[in-house]
Amino acid sequence: MVKTLVFGQIREDIIEENTLGVLNKLTEISGISEIIVALFGHQIKDEWITELGKHGASRVVSVKAPELEVYLSRPYVKAMLEVIEKTEPKLVIAAGTVYGEDLIPRLAVHHGVSCAQRINDISIVGDDLHFHTPVRDDQAMKVTRIEGAIKFATSRAGAFFVNENPDGGSPNVESFDVTFSEEDMLVKHIEIKKAERTVNLKDAKIIVAGGRGVGGKEQFQIIRELADILGGEIEATRACTDVHWIEETYEIGQTGQSVSPDLYIAAGISGAPQHVSGIKAKTLIAINTDEGAAIFNFADYGIIGDLHVILPILKQKLQG
Amino acid sequence: MKIIVFIEQIVSTQVKLQGVDYFDSTRVSEDDLVINPSSKNALEGALKLKDQLGAEVTAVCVRGLKPNKALREAIAMGCTDAIEIADETIYTDDPLLLAKVYVEALGKIGEFDLVFLGVEEQSTGSYAIGAMLSEKLGLPSVLYAEEIEVIDSGYKVGHVLEGGRKIVAMPNKGVISCSDSQYFTPRYTSMRGILTAKRAEIPKWTAADLGLSSSVVGKEAASLIEVSFSNIVIEKESYIIKEGEPEEKVENLLAKLKEDEVKLGA
Repeated sequence: MVKTLVFGQIREDIIEENTLGVLNKLTEISGISEIIVALFGHQIKDEWITELGKHGASRVVSVKAPELEVYLSRPYVKAMLEVIEKTEPKLVIAAGTVYGEDLIPRLAVHHGVSCAQRINDISIVGDDLHFHTPVRDDQAMKVTRIEGAIKFATSRAGAFFVNENPDGGSPNVESFDVTFSEEDMLVKHIEIKKAERTVNLKDAKIIVAGGRGVGGKEQFQIIRELADILGGEIEATRACTDVHWIEETYEIGQTGQSVSPDLYIAAGISGAPQHVSGIKAKTLIAINTDEGAAIFNFADYGIIGDLHVILPILKQKLQG
Repeated sequence: MKIIVFIEQIVSTQVKLQGVDYFDSTRVSEDDLVINPSSKNALEGALKLKDQLGAEVTAVCVRGLKPNKALREAIAMGCTDAIEIADETIYTDDPLLLAKVYVEALGKIGEFDLVFLGVEEQSTGSYAIGAMLSEKLGLPSVLYAEEIEVIDSGYKVGHVLEGGRKIVAMPNKGVISCSDSQYFTPRYTSMRGILTAKRAEIPKWTAADLGLSSSVVGKEAASLIEVSFSNIVIEKESYIIKEGEPEEKVENLLAKLKEDEVKLGA
C-alpha cells in the first residue's frame, strides 16, 4: 500500500484547484493507502482543512511560520523535508504549478533520486508506481518508474477533474514548528502583481480563442467580432498575452485560467500542451493553416485554412 | 563577472515527424538541428546582462546530436566563448544525472557569478533541471523568470505565476531559468558574430575530463527509468474539413454542426 504526501498549495487564500484534482485522482487509485496533505503558511485556516477532507485527504500536517507566508524555495524545501521525515510517505506529489514544479525536483535531489513530471496518470504495478507523461506535443506517451525508496512526481496542470465529496471525512490535523536561518531567506519576496480578473472565463459557455496565428493586436478584432455575434467571451494563449496583443486577463492554460465551455473555437492555436491543459470544452472547433497542428488532435470539428479568411465568412454567414 | 549558460540542441519542431520518430537520429538531418527556443531565451537573458554590465558569457552544451553547431550559433549571438561536453557515456534523459554533469562542468570552469538555463529541456520534456542544479549547488535561484533588473544587492527578478507575476530579489550569485516572455525574445546573430563564431575554438570535454564515470552519470546510474514509450493513438472522431474554397468549407462546417445539433451561439 502506498502512503502518499501531497504538497497543499494555497492560491489567493483558497486551496489551489489542481491540488484538489490531484487529491481526487489519488482517491480513485486502489493501492493508495493514506493521503496526507502538507500545509504551510503564516496561518492555517480551518476551511482549508475542511476542503481538503472533502477531496480525500485523511491527514493534514501543517507548519506555521511567518517565513512560509509566501512560497520561496529554500524555506519550503526545508519544511517539506521535515514533513517527509515525520510522515514517511512512499509517494510525494504536487500539482504542476510554478511552485509545485519548483519544489518537487529539489526534494528529489535531497533524496538522491530524479522525479516524474507533468503526469496525467499513475498506475500501480506490483509494488512499484508507473508514471504516465504525454510528451512531444501530446503525440507520444512516456511511462517511467523511479528507482528509490520515495517517488517524487508533479501532475500536469488541468489533468484531473475536481469532484467534491460532501461526505468526505474530517482529516486528522497535526502541526509542528520549523526554524529558519538567514541562509534560508537569501531570496526575498517583494510583491505579487495579480492580473486583473475582469472577465470570468471559468463560467463562460462560449469562448472564441486566438493564438499566435492571429498575427497581431489589430488582427484580434475578428476574434472579438465573432465572440460578440455568438454571445461568447474571447480568450488568448500566453504567446499572445506576452506580446501584448491582448490583456493578460484573457489568458488560459497552465499559467492562466482553466475553462469548461459548451463551445470553444480555437483560431490560429497550435495546441501546445500548456494551453490545451486548460480547456475542457464539450465541443471544440479548430481553425488552423497547419494540418499537422496538435490542436486537431483535440478538435471535434476543424477547418484547415487561414483564420483571417475563414472567420470573416463564418461571421457573415452567422449574421445572415 | 562571468555567466554560464547551459543550452540544449533539439530537432526543430518544424520537422514533421510523428511521436517516437522525433527521437530517431537517423531520420534527422543537420539542418533540422536547432537550439531549443527555451535555451535561446536563456542566452538572451545572459547577453542582456553582458550588454549592461560587461559580463563574460560562456555557452555550454551537453545535449544534442551536433552540439558544436549550436555553440557556434551561441557565439554568433554574442557569447564570449563556448564549451562542448560530448560523451556517449553521459545519460541525458535523467535530469538528476544532467545536473551532476553541470555541477562538475561548473567546477572545472572555476569562478562564475550566474548560471542561466531555459525552463524546459525539450528533448525529454523535463522542467526539473533548473531546480535540481540550484539545489545541488546550494545556490539561490529564480525559475520561470520573465524580467531581470540589476539592483545594488543583486537582481530584482519577476517570474511567472499563475494569474499574475511575482517579484523577488536575489543575491549576485545564483541560478536563473528564463521563460519565453517578451523580455527574453532572442536576438538575431550578427555578421560580425558569425565571423567570430567561425574562427572560435570550442574545447571538447568528456565525462572523464570532469572526473565522472558511467557508474555516476551513465544509464546504469539513472533513477528515472523509462518503462515504455509509444505514439498516442487518438481515438477521438474528428470532422476536419481540408478540401474546397473557403466559403464551401464554412458552409460544410455549418451544415455538419446543424446535423449534429451543435448550437452556435448563446
